[in-house]
Amino acid sequence: MKRTTLALAAAGAAAALTLSACGGGGDTPGSDSTGGTVDPDEEITLTMTWWGNDDRAARYTEALELFNEEYPNITVQPTFSTWDDYWTARATEAAGNSLPDVMQTDLAYLSQFGNRNQFLDLTPFVDNGIDVSGMSDSLLASGQVGDALVGIPQSTNTLALFYNPATLESLGVDAPDAEQTWADFVDWSVAAAEAGASLDPQLYGTGDFTGVFWLFVQHLVQEGIEVFDADGQVAFSEQDVVDWLQLVAPLRDNDLFMAPEAVAQLEPLGGFTANLFATEFSWDNFLAGYLADSGAESLEMLPLPVGSTGEHAQFFKPSMLLSASANTQHPEAAAALIDFLTNDPEVGAIFGTSRGVPSSESARSQLSAEGADAQVIAFEEEWADVITESTPVLPEGYGSIEAEWLRLASELAYGNITVEEFASQWMSAAQSTLS
Amino acid sequence: MTTTLTDATPPTSSPVTQEDSDRLRQQAQGRSRLGSVAYHAFMVVVSLVVLYPAIWMVFSSTKPHAEILGSVSPFSPNASFDNYLTALQGIGGVSFWTFVWNSTFVAVVSVIATVASSAVTAYAFARIDFRGRGLWFAVMLGTLLLPFHVTMIPQYILFQRLGLINTFTALLIGNFLATSAFHVFLIVQFLRGLPRELDEAARIDGAGHLRVFTSIILPLLRPALITVAIFVFISTWNEFMGPLLYLKRPDLYTLPIALRLFVDQTTTSDYGAQVAMAVLALIPVAIFFFVFQRYLIDGVATQGLKG
Amino acid sequence: MTTTHPPATLTAPRPSQRRARMRETIAGYTFLLPWLLGFFLLTFGPMVASLYLSFTDYDLFEANWVGLDNYTGLFSDPRYLKSVQVTVTYVLISTPVKLVAALLVAMLLNARRRGLGFYRSAFYAPSLVAASISIAIVWKAMFVDDAAVDSFLQIFGIDTGGWVGNQDLTMPMFVLLALWSFGGPMVIFLAGLKQVPTELYEAAEMDGAGAFRRFLTITVPMMSPVIFFNLLMETIGAFQVFGSAFIISGGTGAPADSALFYTLYLYIRGFTDFRMGYASAMAWVLVVVVGVITVLLFKTSKGWVHYQGDSR
Repeated sequence: MKRTTLALAAAGAAAALTLSACGGGGDTPGSDSTGGTVDPDEEITLTMTWWGNDDRAARYTEALELFNEEYPNITVQPTFSTWDDYWTARATEAAGNSLPDVMQTDLAYLSQFGNRNQFLDLTPFVDNGIDVSGMSDSLLASGQVGDALVGIPQSTNTLALFYNPATLESLGVDAPDAEQTWADFVDWSVAAAEAGASLDPQLYGTGDFTGVFWLFVQHLVQEGIEVFDADGQVAFSEQDVVDWLQLVAPLRDNDLFMAPEAVAQLEPLGGFTANLFATEFSWDNFLAGYLADSGAESLEMLPLPVGSTGEHAQFFKPSMLLSASANTQHPEAAAALIDFLTNDPEVGAIFGTSRGVPSSESARSQLSAEGADAQVIAFEEEWADVITESTPVLPEGYGSIEAEWLRLASELAYGNITVEEFASQWMSAAQSTLS
Repeated sequence: MTTTLTDATPPTSSPVTQEDSDRLRQQAQGRSRLGSVAYHAFMVVVSLVVLYPAIWMVFSSTKPHAEILGSVSPFSPNASFDNYLTALQGIGGVSFWTFVWNSTFVAVVSVIATVASSAVTAYAFARIDFRGRGLWFAVMLGTLLLPFHVTMIPQYILFQRLGLINTFTALLIGNFLATSAFHVFLIVQFLRGLPRELDEAARIDGAGHLRVFTSIILPLLRPALITVAIFVFISTWNEFMGPLLYLKRPDLYTLPIALRLFVDQTTTSDYGAQVAMAVLALIPVAIFFFVFQRYLIDGVATQGLKG
Repeated sequence: MTTTHPPATLTAPRPSQRRARMRETIAGYTFLLPWLLGFFLLTFGPMVASLYLSFTDYDLFEANWVGLDNYTGLFSDPRYLKSVQVTVTYVLISTPVKLVAALLVAMLLNARRRGLGFYRSAFYAPSLVAASISIAIVWKAMFVDDAAVDSFLQIFGIDTGGWVGNQDLTMPMFVLLALWSFGGPMVIFLAGLKQVPTELYEAAEMDGAGAFRRFLTITVPMMSPVIFFNLLMETIGAFQVFGSAFIISGGTGAPADSALFYTLYLYIRGFTDFRMGYASAMAWVLVVVVGVITVLLFKTSKGWVHYQGDSR
């Protein structure tokens, strides 16, 4: 009947329009620019985006105003979102080949977009629009995906063990030793938690740090175990996961961790920032945030416990990078913006260490050596000789396997799965995601 | 003899006389005078419990951020409107009034578009006898029962291919195309209550459907249209899923999404300002409700009775 | 004057009648045009597309045919099964609770007293905002340790230590939220109750039927169409809860997936992991399940729903 065919045709058309979406994306690789500088007479508008909260947004606004003074012909239209929404939005844009001209990126997602030629290859701009003389070669190399340089590291951080001196005093324990092993640290935490069990409010030595995926990766590096192989697959074994999780068995099995239900009540604070945990492992640039959240007078940092070789063997991780879209209409201007945000001393001063320690020497030069910023920089300088390893190259899909690890850690904390189940579930998820 | 009342039709010969009725009513009234106090006391308590979250919200918004969680007392020695000042500042350069404007714009356009398209569609179903009407009506009712998730992803892909992410178009276009069966149905039910003689008189005089619709039906539809308008306004104002999917830039956010932006896990979060903004976000809904509650309640009731 | 039209059933429609019908049909479809466009472009088309997608591994970049892998994958995915369990539990508990409360309160309001308008509005208002983000934020805050609910329970000696973050108390928290919005169905019940003729009750009372008997033999049958309508709409609505689940669980279904509602997991798979083929398969399973439940409800309704006359 005529009406039916008409209906089917309409449905088909609608479906076809929708499905023409499939199979798009990732056609032409990033424009082969030859680098160079911006034409000062051309009126250019750039779009830029980052993740963060309003504090970061305020800093970026200031930095972009400075940029506009330097390049009056370039207008930057910024947008931002929370971390949770950020990569979803970028993936959508990437699928439509419409990423913003400049964007803040993270190592975890660099391959995912780099492999699909979504990022501009900045190699032609090195020392020809983007000054990289102020940062080490190994740091710069972290922005490579394949043969292309797709991100310029903005800042670095490394993992640290934070402790709260006031909490230690309440517990009546000494600070952990900088040269302790992981087992030593667990013993120390047991003693601290036992001391804190009778206090009101109850204090704990630490939270279950085995849930921090980056810490696990760092530990593998310490032990000389390959993390990811050349094909981007998991190179370590399920047993390595179990061994790591069982490091804290003395704490977990003896109920010396704060119950997850109780920790959830502290939101938006965590155990450490609520001054209930004596220690926490985290990135060193989180110091300022911790001080603000906890209201503590002071917080101290130590390097990570040593591995079985007796070495700390830590690495610097680029805490964030700036990348440009492969489809940008203004590659030179985008490069100029990246260069400005990376190297300008006043920009460095604006951000302080809120994004991490600035990667470029010139950006560090005007950093006021005050407060949290000074402490972070001093920490890195003090322990520079043990921060010698290079960051593992992250495969595509790293972001999801990290999220899956976190989720399983929560299930473990709630007692829904065992350590062995954690290891096997994570391994199979990782294998299917990374293949 | 007991009257069996298990069938649904009222007994044809009523055994209840007027005197019986009066007597029962008086007995009931006597009882109710005694129970009136108890009744109202109970109802007031229930009302307070039901309204407690709203009360809590308003009072908490005046408290400093650290005192909100974990405290029951609505009153705080430090009560102030500081949270509102923070909330009104907006986030990262995007002012609060931008969010209000975005929400208002989306809501108002949605209302106009939905009212227009639903009225037109309802008129077709209720007043025009065209071939296939039964089928299409059944299909439309079917969409009422359809979980929207089955269209969510392809719609998203479609809008993305058309470059409509980060525009309000993606959010609004459905309203112009009467995609909400709930509202069409509401108007259809209302239309069925309007006598056909009016239409028929006009048709006999030679008026086409367009004339009948605009000159006769539309004016009579006013109560139903107002009801639809209010429902659409409130549901659009509160809508979360659509803006979550399609609005990716803070300067386009509507209030519900902006609320989320207040909390970013990477550094400090201001819970107090969040609650204040939550209150501000609900004020238009509250106003609409107070002013138009009759329409809403009657509209909902009509729906259910003839459904 | 008598007209001499033969009965319509015995002759073919006259040309003028056919033309009239044609005009009606054209008019009908003209008025229906927006809806038709919307239906094909935004409902039917996407439905067909999502059915196709459910057989692929589409991730916004490319789509490869994977046959039934997504569907079989669903049933071996522990998180999927968990989301089904969470959602079914929610539907099975919250719907009856909400409807019973709505009916009971409606009956309370079905009296000739003063001030009922106030109560009716007070009870109805929450249902307008229950699904909003503002309320989700507030709701979560009320269930934290030492907050309103916890303190109230402490009066009775129950210390829960906070419902938020407690995987066993998450579902009750959502059920209470559903219960809080009983006002919507309540208003409908109330309208239905007002239509039950009081003579029926009076007659039964005179015959010695107690309140409960009157309820069972008069109220329920007379209200059965309304009960059915509410049951249908609330059940379908319960399957589609999203906003509150998203906010209260922080978008992840936390703690430990106890708030991993079906729609939330669908969103996570589709828009966070970008496994859109998988999410489409989830959507279609939901459609089928809701469809089956709807058909079941309709079929079984014949047994207990009495329509008064024919109001259609």
